[in-house]
Amino acid sequence: MERATDPTTGELLVEDAAESAHPSARRTFDRQLDQVKDDVLRLGARVEEALERAGRALAERDSELADAVRWEDAEVNELQRGINAEIASVIATQAPVARDIRELLSLYHAAAELERIGDYAVNIAKLAQQLAAEPETPILKQIPRMEQICREQLRAAMRSLVDVSEQEARQVALRDDELDHLYNSVYEDALQLMSVAPERARQAVHMLFTAHHLERLGDRVTNIGEDVVYLATGQIEDLNN
Amino acid sequence: MEPARGDTAVRDTPTIRVMTDQTLDEAERIASAGEPESVAVAIEPDEVIFDLQSLSCFYGSFRAVRDIGLRVPRNKITAIIGPSGCGKSTLLRSFNRMNDLVEGARIEGTILYHGVDLYADGVDPVEVRRRIGMVFQKPNPFPKTIYDNVAFGPRIAGYKGSMPELVEQSLRRAALWDEVKDKLGSIATSLSGGQQQRLCIARAIAVEPDVILMDEPCSALDPIATLKIEELMRELKENYTIVIVTHNMQQAARASDFTAFLSMGDDRAGYLVEMAPTQQLFTSPTNRLTEDYITGRFG
Repeated sequence: MERATDPTTGELLVEDAAESAHPSARRTFDRQLDQVKDDVLRLGARVEEALERAGRALAERDSELADAVRWEDAEVNELQRGINAEIASVIATQAPVARDIRELLSLYHAAAELERIGDYAVNIAKLAQQLAAEPETPILKQIPRMEQICREQLRAAMRSLVDVSEQEARQVALRDDELDHLYNSVYEDALQLMSVAPERARQAVHMLFTAHHLERLGDRVTNIGEDVVYLATGQIEDLNN
Repeated sequence: MEPARGDTAVRDTPTIRVMTDQTLDEAERIASAGEPESVAVAIEPDEVIFDLQSLSCFYGSFRAVRDIGLRVPRNKITAIIGPSGCGKSTLLRSFNRMNDLVEGARIEGTILYHGVDLYADGVDPVEVRRRIGMVFQKPNPFPKTIYDNVAFGPRIAGYKGSMPELVEQSLRRAALWDEVKDKLGSIATSLSGGQQQRLCIARAIAVEPDVILMDEPCSALDPIATLKIEELMRELKENYTIVIVTHNMQQAARASDFTAFLSMGDDRAGYLVEMAPTQQLFTSPTNRLTEDYITGRFG
């Protein structure tokens, strides 16, 4: 190969080829990204556990368990703050682009949604305590079902995030219709309970609120699915419609 | 050089036609369907300044760049990025026939500038370089006064207007006037590196070009001087089309409207992998090679 040079400056016009791919070039970044992912997964597991315990406290009229869910939410909040700081640091120091920046933004948003889901679990725990303080009324059967679907959805959303599976993320969103249907059914049953047994109106309202929180929680899980679609495709989509 | 077709429109139509969704969709369609080499951004025909068709550049028997097809849009900043040795500078220098000065250099294919073949018989390379100015990696002011550096080109070209006004206007456009207006008689090499580079930009502007080519213009500058040049580029694109070669991907991301990514084949010839709106290329590149390069997986 000839070594062409600029006749005015004498500089080489064809530079030497770049070094070939260097496996260590991204080692620090990959390590930081893995740490963030691990922490988001840990946050997801904590939130799912909180939701399961809140549901159990509701079903078993266990006020102490509900209290534990309320107290432990501080750890969820702390974990989310830590993730935010980690992501800010990686963005500031590594200037990520393309899929890397999409992944960090998705994880950042997913962590925020998980924190909100944790808040819904706390709200349900509070309602469980209020219901436990009232004369016992059977929990409307749709509510444990909603709680179960929410947890399954949450688990599937976290799996789709780990696997970056657009298909699984879309499946998560599809199940949201089931939650909406159950919520409407709780609404009808609660109204009926209030009309046939006005002395149980307070319990009916508590159950309606519980179902409402679960319905909203499902929307938050769907938002995580949207994050996964963005990560996988670069497209911002509304999966709630 | 024959008058370029549509050339008068360069300064008479300051409005920029915004890329429509349709054209962007078309670009995506082309990007997802074609071979990497054929990827091109769809630009409205009257917005195209350069239209490269199957361009290959040679130094003797060595092909440095092969089969490039891309279009450079008017009044935009187009960045060319890619690993060392992929032919970015060679490609840039083909835009104003700078490589004519290199023995053994030649091209195959076509570069249309406002629809005119730049390498056709009868095209005067000196006039090409007046219309298509260039700023180099290292600031290279003449060892003359600041004033003479700017006035040199217009004098050679026989400029008949008021030279002091032209010098002032050029220095203002290069965002240097306020810093040098009281020392126009000082030797240019007494300026800082960043100021020298802006002086070189003023010198390029003084001959009223249509396009400014920049070959790593900030590689010898500190971060503050670099940001000043980038800010200046944004101001200049109101009146000029800018094509910049840069090793600094963050600079391409910050400062350009479109980015072309070149890679190198097994034959060591550079080829175009992808050209896209910069925002799109740095968030959702369509080609895996681009993704791997800009995220540091190779190169």
